[in-house]
Amino acid sequence: MPRQPAGISLRSVGKTYRGRGKTVEALKDMNLECAPGSFTALIGPSGCGKSTAMRVALGLEGFDSGEVLISGQTPGQATAGGVTGVAFQDAALLPWRSVAKNVALPLEVLGRDVSKFSAEIAQLIDLVGLKGYENALPGELSGGMRQRVSIARSLITSPEVLFMDEPFGALDQIRRRQMNVELQRIWSETKSTALLVTHGIDEAIFLADQVVVMHADPGRVVDIIDVPFARPRHPDLFSNPEFHALTDRIAKVLHGE
Amino acid sequence: MGNSLTSLRLKSVRNLVILIIVWEIVGRMDWIAGGALPGLSEILTRLWIDRGDYPGHIWATVYASGLGFLIGNVLAIAAGIAFVLSPTLLRLMRGVNIAIFALPPIAIAPILVLTLSGMAPRVTLAALGVYFVTMSATVIGLSQYDTRSADLVRAYGGGNWLILKLVRIRGAIPDILSGLRIAAPNAVLGAILAEFGGGGRWGLGTYLLGSLGRGDPARLWGIGLVATLIAGLSYAIFAVISSRISGSTRSVTLNTAIPSSHGENAYGRSIQALILCGTITLPFVLWWAFIKLTGVPDLIAKTPHGVFEYLFLNDTSAIARGKLLAALGQTLPIAALGMIAGLAFAFLLAISSRMFPGFIKGFMPVALVTQTMPLVALTPLLVLILGRGYSVTLWITISVTFFPAFVLLVQGIQRVPQSVLDLPRAYGASAWTEMRMVSIPAALPYLFAATRLTVPRALLGVMIAEWLATGTGLGNLLNRSRGYLDYGMIWTVAAVSVLLSVAIYYLVLIVERRTLVRLGMQNVE
Repeated sequence: MPRQPAGISLRSVGKTYRGRGKTVEALKDMNLECAPGSFTALIGPSGCGKSTAMRVALGLEGFDSGEVLISGQTPGQATAGGVTGVAFQDAALLPWRSVAKNVALPLEVLGRDVSKFSAEIAQLIDLVGLKGYENALPGELSGGMRQRVSIARSLITSPEVLFMDEPFGALDQIRRRQMNVELQRIWSETKSTALLVTHGIDEAIFLADQVVVMHADPGRVVDIIDVPFARPRHPDLFSNPEFHALTDRIAKVLHGE
Repeated sequence: MGNSLTSLRLKSVRNLVILIIVWEIVGRMDWIAGGALPGLSEILTRLWIDRGDYPGHIWATVYASGLGFLIGNVLAIAAGIAFVLSPTLLRLMRGVNIAIFALPPIAIAPILVLTLSGMAPRVTLAALGVYFVTMSATVIGLSQYDTRSADLVRAYGGGNWLILKLVRIRGAIPDILSGLRIAAPNAVLGAILAEFGGGGRWGLGTYLLGSLGRGDPARLWGIGLVATLIAGLSYAIFAVISSRISGSTRSVTLNTAIPSSHGENAYGRSIQALILCGTITLPFVLWWAFIKLTGVPDLIAKTPHGVFEYLFLNDTSAIARGKLLAALGQTLPIAALGMIAGLAFAFLLAISSRMFPGFIKGFMPVALVTQTMPLVALTPLLVLILGRGYSVTLWITISVTFFPAFVLLVQGIQRVPQSVLDLPRAYGASAWTEMRMVSIPAALPYLFAATRLTVPRALLGVMIAEWLATGTGLGNLLNRSRGYLDYGMIWTVAAVSVLLSVAIYYLVLIVERRTLVRLGMQNVE
């Protein structure tokens, strides 16, 4: 099936939370352009609005000003049309559903005939390395395995745009590295536009074509750094001096130096 | 682990055997109140002799409580879903819900017998007994869903209906099942109480009432055991089902976000006042509608206005008021005393449970079993042992408040994380200091919750004891009014006991909110 992966575009997006006596500018004049088929990492301290930006792009939250386009559509149209896929910080699996049925959940929400997708479901479970666990319940899996199920679930609709909010935040460092390598492999096979929200600089550099750094209060983009390393990237990259130089550079931007 | 479990089981079996032997000896020797407690073998022998009587009675009780259980729960679950979908509806119905929760079944049993016929009073009382428990379990279960899963459904364009269908209903099943588990013995109790007040030929309640005058303790104990067995079995069935299912339902990770309650302050002052008015008047409207729908003549069935007339406008009103106040004067002090004693006892035992974990482990199963005992079946047995004085009323009230309060308090204290308990220890605090700093404050919200929840039970306990044993107070007034066909008084006692129960409930709630706000704590639902 010929597909034209679409991009993500946030233009001068503003969003303000009004609390008791205090207003918080979660996003101020936020601009973000993700080219079709590119991988973007969104990084910043807690409360900088990076998760909010993603939730706005997904239509989970509204915004006060500006324009948001996902593959040329409004967030609501895009999500209801099955254009997007999403993986959250926590696997957020339904504990009473088997692995296969959890993977199929987005199809059910979109009102598609799940029985026609059994081949795709099996293929994705294989892709994330869980072949043989199709009928297992989430409670029987390790944290890393559950996170892989959520990655498989995010891909079941063959999304043109893939959103990930700290998908490996709950994993330990070693497992996180493994999942980074696997995510790169999976993403390169799907050719979708990916937006990854993360705390980890090394994870951002390893996976992304561009790293977008945000600061808090008000939530805004302070710098966009292109990552020059060729693909496919090998895990050795983590110990490459150029990799460390880039890490230091981003860290300085992140800490406002 | 496996070894200690086996040894625990062995110990339980050993304790049970010892208990039965002691019971047998005490019973055979007629040591307690001149033979009021027969030996187990005597009870079983009596059961065998009476075996021809039981099937008919058991069938009648099981049929009525089963049907009531079914109807009550279908309504309760439907209501729970409706309440979650519409918070306004929940607020409007709050008065009705609290009234159903607070009504002492014994007080409305005669009313149902007056207005309905055949099995209907028994089924209705059983259904009323299960409604509140299952309804609130459904609301809690549907409200405490995983917000992350809901986000996921929404991220694919799903709306509230899909979230309810895919995430919330399935997630609420363990809560609903534990509601059903607690509700099941209530249905049995409701059916037996209606049998008590309602005549008819069959039913364990009828059988018990008919056997009261025979002076045969072994038979009363037999009926009590059978009733307890039925209630206990119904509890056990749902306990097994829920333990099967909850294994696959427990969330695998901890969700830190609590679903926000929408619509609490979505309306202006005037609409809020309107809703409050509706909340208060709705129970009375339903009362009125119930009478009009059943078509029972005014002489027998009193509307809210009829009760007011009876109490304040008739020639005999002064006498009626006098009787009512005298009865209240007898019932309330002893109910309060019993409740305070039961709660204090439960509180002391629960906060010291950290010091004697072994004792609690052994005692919890006993406490849980007593929860399923139908109170009515128990009362005649206590009367046999304690006589017909005030002490029997007091003991019944203490026991009905103690056990639920104790279970609630222990569960509350067990929610305190181990690390919080360890902290004072790590600084060398004594057991008493630890208790003062951690266990007592931690148990306080649960003490309030227990007080609120046991008010209707305490009133029920006192009234049953008064009806069956002491011949005083509201329970006796109710019983005598039935004899005199004083319909106005029957309705008045029912209405007053419900209003009283609701009033005390709110009184505790107000004190609770004030105290907990001062201490910076959350109240427990």
